Amino acid sequence: MCLSPPKYPLRFLRWFCREDYLDEIEGDLIELFEKRVEKSPGKAKRRFVWDVVKSFRWRNIRSFSRSQNSNYTAMLKHTIILSFRSFRKYKTTFLINLAGLTSGLTCVLLIYLWVNHELRVDKFYKHADRLYQVFENREQSYGIWTAETNSGPMAADMQTDFPEVEYVTGAASRGKATLTIGEKNIKSDYIYAGKDFFNVFSVTLLEGQADHVLADKSSIVISADMAERLFGDASNVAGKTVRFEHERDFVVSGVFETAPPTSSFQHDIIISIDLIKDQYAPVWNYNNTFVKTYMLLKPGTDADEFNKKLEGYIASKVKGETNRTAFVALYPDYYLHGKYENGQMVGGRITYVKLFSIIAGFILLIACINFTNLSTARASRRMKEVGIKKAMGSGRTALIYQYLGESILVAVISLMLALLTAYLFLPQFNVVTGKQLAIDFDLKMIAGALLIAVVTGFLAGSYPAFYLSGFSSSTVLKGQLHRSIGELWARRGLVIFQFAITIVLITSVLVVYKQMDMLQSKDLGYNKDQVLIFPREGKLESISTTTTFLAEVKNIPGVINGSSTDHDMTGHNSGTSGIYWEGKDPNDRSEFENLSVNYDLMETLGIELREGRTFDRTFGADSSKIIFNETAIRYMGLENPLGKTIKLWGEDRQIIGVVKDFHFESLHSAIKPVFFILTGEEGESFMVKIAAGREKEVVGKLAELHTSFNPGFPFEPRFLDQDYQGQYQAEKRVSTLSGYFASLAIIISCMGLFGLAAFAAERRLKEIGIRRILGSSIGQIVYMLSASFSKMILVAIVIAIPFSYYIASSWLAGFAYRIDLEWWYFGVSGILALAIAWAIVGWQTFKVASINPTKCLRDE
Amino acid sequence: MKEQSIGEFEELVLLMVAALHDEAYGVAILENLEEKQGKKVNISAIHVTLKRLEDKGFVISRYGGITGERGGRRKKYYIITALGKKLLDSQYALRTSLYQQIPKISFG
Repeated sequence: MCLSPPKYPLRFLRWFCREDYLDEIEGDLIELFEKRVEKSPGKAKRRFVWDVVKSFRWRNIRSFSRSQNSNYTAMLKHTIILSFRSFRKYKTTFLINLAGLTSGLTCVLLIYLWVNHELRVDKFYKHADRLYQVFENREQSYGIWTAETNSGPMAADMQTDFPEVEYVTGAASRGKATLTIGEKNIKSDYIYAGKDFFNVFSVTLLEGQADHVLADKSSIVISADMAERLFGDASNVAGKTVRFEHERDFVVSGVFETAPPTSSFQHDIIISIDLIKDQYAPVWNYNNTFVKTYMLLKPGTDADEFNKKLEGYIASKVKGETNRTAFVALYPDYYLHGKYENGQMVGGRITYVKLFSIIAGFILLIACINFTNLSTARASRRMKEVGIKKAMGSGRTALIYQYLGESILVAVISLMLALLTAYLFLPQFNVVTGKQLAIDFDLKMIAGALLIAVVTGFLAGSYPAFYLSGFSSSTVLKGQLHRSIGELWARRGLVIFQFAITIVLITSVLVVYKQMDMLQSKDLGYNKDQVLIFPREGKLESISTTTTFLAEVKNIPGVINGSSTDHDMTGHNSGTSGIYWEGKDPNDRSEFENLSVNYDLMETLGIELREGRTFDRTFGADSSKIIFNETAIRYMGLENPLGKTIKLWGEDRQIIGVVKDFHFESLHSAIKPVFFILTGEEGESFMVKIAAGREKEVVGKLAELHTSFNPGFPFEPRFLDQDYQGQYQAEKRVSTLSGYFASLAIIISCMGLFGLAAFAAERRLKEIGIRRILGSSIGQIVYMLSASFSKMILVAIVIAIPFSYYIASSWLAGFAYRIDLEWWYFGVSGILALAIAWAIVGWQTFKVASINPTKCLRDE
Repeated sequence: MKEQSIGEFEELVLLMVAALHDEAYGVAILENLEEKQGKKVNISAIHVTLKRLEDKGFVISRYGGITGERGGRRKKYYIITALGKKLLDSQYALRTSLYQQIPKISFG
């Protein structure tokens, strides 16, 4: 029995060990092995491996740089020199490749920054894996509506009812509040929150203890930023007194670190939720919902199990309430996965994150295709080089490395340019995305960027590398071109693919623009233009002052009308199912949108009346009346509704009017049943309609008037149509970005086509010369050369149409009101692509065709 | 010339080279050391020490002939130099003189 030492460790030893030591070390190791193997082969092998490992020391390792590596460096140098020579020789190709890859990589970089930011939003909390928000699925006539709001007492009750809950807090936001120190007034977003808010959300407290900061009603917690603005310094603020809304003093009990841009909580002021509980005591029960609930579940709690326990929870608190089901979902996921349809999570922002990542990938792919196409097309130019190298003994691998090296070199140069362009375009990109993105050159970013560049170079260069290196030297040097049909088809296929993507992008842009245009110009049923909206606060909260104020507002020249309301007209505000009419199904718990308004609101907003009248002071007892929209009347099935009586919250109300349907929510949702009542409290905010063209002057006068009524409250009005636009921010982003991307895709594809066309025309220069001499016109030659390109584009159009139809219709499905997909969207984008292609190819071939034939036939 | 220093393990190996005289190569040194000391030593430690001793000029080396054993690899024999011998002598003298200074105390 002859056992030999393990093969691989021995090989490793021979590889790393210096030649002059090898005899001694290998000899000794083998001798030891031979002695040991007689006792126990297994042990001997293990010890041999161990000895090899122990011998792997600096002293024994041979020098790798001196000996055989010189060849590698020489080859690398050779490759780089040849690459630069070929760049210089074929400038157009090089520039097209460089420009294409640079724009592709810029796209990828920018999108990477954006995606990276989106993916990090709300993920930074210490207990992000068990931080949950409570939602409610509510059954409505139109399906299940997933609401974010819960009942006020829910947070405290869940803490006592469920042992799984570690900490829970309610939170309710009520817009902006003014804080005052001496003469300084600062307005910012505020929320009411439960005492465990800082235990649930691990926001760092610079001052104060998480357990105590919100413990009593006179405490206020502010952000470091707010502290700096108020006190000029964020330290030693605790214990100081600030005035809140000019009506109540609070003691600063804590200062928290200002939220990072990746937080969706961007409030500067937090006060105890007990205050809102006192203020809204009549609605602090399970029949009303306006508080959001967040909780930390104890480690190891299974959310699905917990949700099963929650199923009957609300029903156990309110008798007969079976259409509201509470459930919890991870709060850090809500930002990206926040869209629910019929009680099921159907995506959210993640859709756009994915969409843009895919688009960026495709643009890079288009650029890679350019590289591949141009390199293979120009292969004939480099055949001699390949032939000679092969004849001199170069192996195929060496050639593959050379061409891959060349493409990776282009990719790396492009990457550097792309970093520069990304840096230059970042401010613009930030405007479009509404983010504060920055390129930080950390290790991860650099490694990622380099990886992308190398992968891109590999992708773009691998086909040419394998293709070019495959020529046989003898045929190439004899001058025989071998052009396989397969190669031609591969190139055509890639062009078709490129243009198909481009056409899909053009169509998408057209559809997005058309839809956005429709959103802008759609008749909403009321007039949102020149309507100013500002909060009713401070002294104006008294009803009599409001009446005086409104009367004075209407006296300002240029003001058409003014009123106050609880509803901001941009989205769901508050609803109720506490409405009864004759013939209502007792199980129907559908909510009607509640618009509590003041006199003149419908006139201010220009909501049209179908029949009856609006609220009017001259009639006196309008507080017991009600007005519906057409949808509500239809839903209730009332005929001749005027004068009929329905019950709202148990009280009789007479219908005095019906208004035409109008959109108070974004056009994503269908119009819901709405009722108007006169608010006894005069509403949360004022709305003032201004004559067109006089906005500036009127706003100035309004500010003066506001200050005289409400000294110390900064006057910060907004225009209603701006708020309206705000509802479509995501869509606007899509339309702007897809516009940019589509143009980029067109430009890159066209550059590729330009390169190919130029090359084709050049190769057939002699043929063109002969044809012209034999009597062809320039037109015929241009036609001849463009025909094959036109065919490719036509195939691309045919392929692109179903894809663009699918993409466009699934995007439009998110809108309740949408444009019809007409055939001409597809037609126009196809024709556009064809026209651009013709223009490029035609121009290029025309240039070649109009060269005097004697010139092109004379050389050689 | 700088005073040459030598470590404990180096000294042991050097002593072994001197003791084995002309038959000292890696495996032989290893086996003798293990036998005398009664504990395991790794061969690579011996190799490194021998190289260091050679660098310091305490030993010189020569190759043996190729045989069928050891995978056809030659043995590398080490012989102590005059310098090495001198060092051992002085170490021995130093130790003996120090040892003799120990008072006669019983450690019973």
